Amino acid sequence: MEYILDMKDISKTFPGVVALDHVQLQIKPGEVHALMGENGAGKSTLMKILMGIYTMDPGGEIQFDGKPYHASNPKEAMDQGVAMIHQELNPILDMTVYENIFVGREMKKNGLVDKKGMIEASKQLIQECGLHVSPTETLRNLTVAQCQLIEIIKAISVNAKVIIMDEPTAAITDREVELLFGHIRRLTEKGVAIIYISHRMDEIFSICDRVSVYRDGQYIGTGTTKELDEPKLIQMMVGREITDVFPKLEAEIGEVIFEANHITRADNKVKDVSISVRKGEILGLGGLVGAGRSELVEGIFGMHKLSQGEIIVKGEKIQVKSPRDIIRKGVALITEDRKVTGLNLSGTVNDNIAMVAIKKLLSHGLYSRKRANKASLEYIEKLKIKTPSGEQIVGNLSGGNQQKVVLAKWLLNDPDVIILDEPTRGIDVGAKRDIYLLIGSLVQQGKAVIMISGEIPELMGVCDRIMVMCEGNLSGEVHRDEFSQEKIMTLASAIQV
Amino acid sequence: MKQNRNVKALISDYFIFVIFIVLVVGLTILKPSFIQPGNLANILKQASINGILSFGMMFVILAGGFDMSVGSTVAFAGIIAALLGNGDYPLILPLIAAMVSGLCVGIVNGVGVAVGELPPFIMTLGTMTGVRGLALLISNGKPITGISPEYRAVAAGSVAGIPMLAVFLVIVIIICSFVTSKTVYGRRVYACGGNLQAARVAGINTTMIRISTFAIAGLLAGFCGFLMTSRVTIGQPTAAESYEMDAITACVVGGVSMSGGVGKPWGVVVGSLLITVIANGLDILGVSSHWQKIVKGLIIVLAVLIDVKGKGKKN
Repeated sequence: MEYILDMKDISKTFPGVVALDHVQLQIKPGEVHALMGENGAGKSTLMKILMGIYTMDPGGEIQFDGKPYHASNPKEAMDQGVAMIHQELNPILDMTVYENIFVGREMKKNGLVDKKGMIEASKQLIQECGLHVSPTETLRNLTVAQCQLIEIIKAISVNAKVIIMDEPTAAITDREVELLFGHIRRLTEKGVAIIYISHRMDEIFSICDRVSVYRDGQYIGTGTTKELDEPKLIQMMVGREITDVFPKLEAEIGEVIFEANHITRADNKVKDVSISVRKGEILGLGGLVGAGRSELVEGIFGMHKLSQGEIIVKGEKIQVKSPRDIIRKGVALITEDRKVTGLNLSGTVNDNIAMVAIKKLLSHGLYSRKRANKASLEYIEKLKIKTPSGEQIVGNLSGGNQQKVVLAKWLLNDPDVIILDEPTRGIDVGAKRDIYLLIGSLVQQGKAVIMISGEIPELMGVCDRIMVMCEGNLSGEVHRDEFSQEKIMTLASAIQV
Repeated sequence: MKQNRNVKALISDYFIFVIFIVLVVGLTILKPSFIQPGNLANILKQASINGILSFGMMFVILAGGFDMSVGSTVAFAGIIAALLGNGDYPLILPLIAAMVSGLCVGIVNGVGVAVGELPPFIMTLGTMTGVRGLALLISNGKPITGISPEYRAVAAGSVAGIPMLAVFLVIVIIICSFVTSKTVYGRRVYACGGNLQAARVAGINTTMIRISTFAIAGLLAGFCGFLMTSRVTIGQPTAAESYEMDAITACVVGGVSMSGGVGKPWGVVVGSLLITVIANGLDILGVSSHWQKIVKGLIIVLAVLIDVKGKGKKN
């Protein structure tokens, strides 16, 4: 038996949409197999069929471990040896580690819950994984990475032969990524196969053995990571060659338009950091997860209390008590988490666009639907937002399009300084490129951009200057002509005294 | 295919309206007296006070809150209006006093929730109990009698056959619909309810918006207190018990989402009429009031169930 999992001729039609069109996927035992493709390519639909969340159209065939496979819900999938670790982890935070590991299949003794047995079994599993937590610890007290490991332990404990990992590194630090990769390697040595979904190229090449690419519901091909390289993969994913992954538009750099000096947050997550940006300039903020970059811009934007610091916009010193004060001066902040702080998901595109600059949508002092429609149409076109109309509920749009709605909301206010916190996280290559081009055109108009990103190549591709933070401090500054990955990494991991 | 989906979406959007029409037609067939002008005027009268309260509640729920205290506020404001409505002062005084006292309760609720960061349920549960006590304290636990004939005429009168109470309701409906759909304030209420954090980051003064929605609910409850005293011709400290539940029911049945940010004024109109029509219809059919409660309970659960299921499909 060459393949542990063999999916053939899988189709899935939703009313009016063909999500998957006779695609295939073959997984060998003990390999890490990447699924790649832009948003909407059909990766998650395929995985949902495997997990029994969706039913495939008749005609498809799944063989698992040499036997025909069928799951009509995730529990049936797990019972047969397929487990999934979701992008958005869903542990039960107020329950303990062992309860989370055994949730849904509690051990029983004389018809009652066997607490002792579960704690013992969990202890063993945790030790095998090299994790140092007590089985009776509450999950709320664990880090995201630890919670993720608990999920992996859960998958191991059901004797999963195939584990699906959907964007497993989205919320963990680089050091934790290394630990995760170690665990993955240990699993594959035991013959467990991993299906790995990620948008991060460097991860694909460092951990995966083979890659299958999908596009618009079609199967494009499979190859080993040894014979593929990044340009080839991108070409397979988007169907055309993208020569410049990071298009950079020429812009004239003018005088300083925004300064934040000696910013120190009351909770001490940011210590005495000063940044400034010029008209037409793209300033990058680099650093590891937890370095305080988001904390810095959120502090500047009045979302958290500062114990010290002054903010100067266009030469004028301003007092920022709440986001209103700084928005009024022409500053915009596109936050990291669009679902928590960016969007009204139950509202329409129009409702969202009206959130910041509703004043631009008034006629005779009253909210005008006509104007809102006109404005949203303008941005739907400009930013290539895929939505039937401005009356569409934002919660129904895909991630990349939601991100563009957040941008549209702020751009309507015509800000002069735009702060973007991880603007391309979790969106596909095509949409990323749209966003780089948009940033370029903004600075061409004389606006200033501050951009936070965890991906160093992205910062190096897009920015004119990069400031690097480490543990709440500013650890250094690099200009475009002296950009290098090592230099930025060294600054990012600098141990400050 | 697409056409088909749109029709389905339309039906799920206007589902409550369809139920309402079916109910009215059904009742008319069963009891032709249901459609008599006298009975219709009666329905409007019964629906008015609950309708006005429901609109106050709508603002609070749209902004992501919840108000348990409006029933007590009606009683409290009603007592104040009754004390001042014995004919010694012009009628405008009890009206203003009732509305201001309602407004005060609303502001207290709003500050507790938006500034004190108390859960709306806890905060308004507190004021519900406390304000009821206040009404009992002022009235010494006894009904306030002796209100002037002019004051009584407010609720008893009618214009061209339409009861005055219904006229007030229509005015409130028009103002509230206008505010929610056309003003900056109204759109911001929706934004706060849709995602409070995002609204704050977008520069909206979410504290003021949240306080103001409770203030509107209080103000309208005060107005209802004024009307209530006129309607029953006494100030009753135990009046309007569980009215908050009817107001919440009207909102929920009318499609206002309890998680905030979603809901339309016309839905609330239909919701509150629906409740009244059910009560009135079952009355004239001679169904016992015990059964009426059971039917009302079923309708709340079913309406929300259909609402939730309908939304699940859209996603």
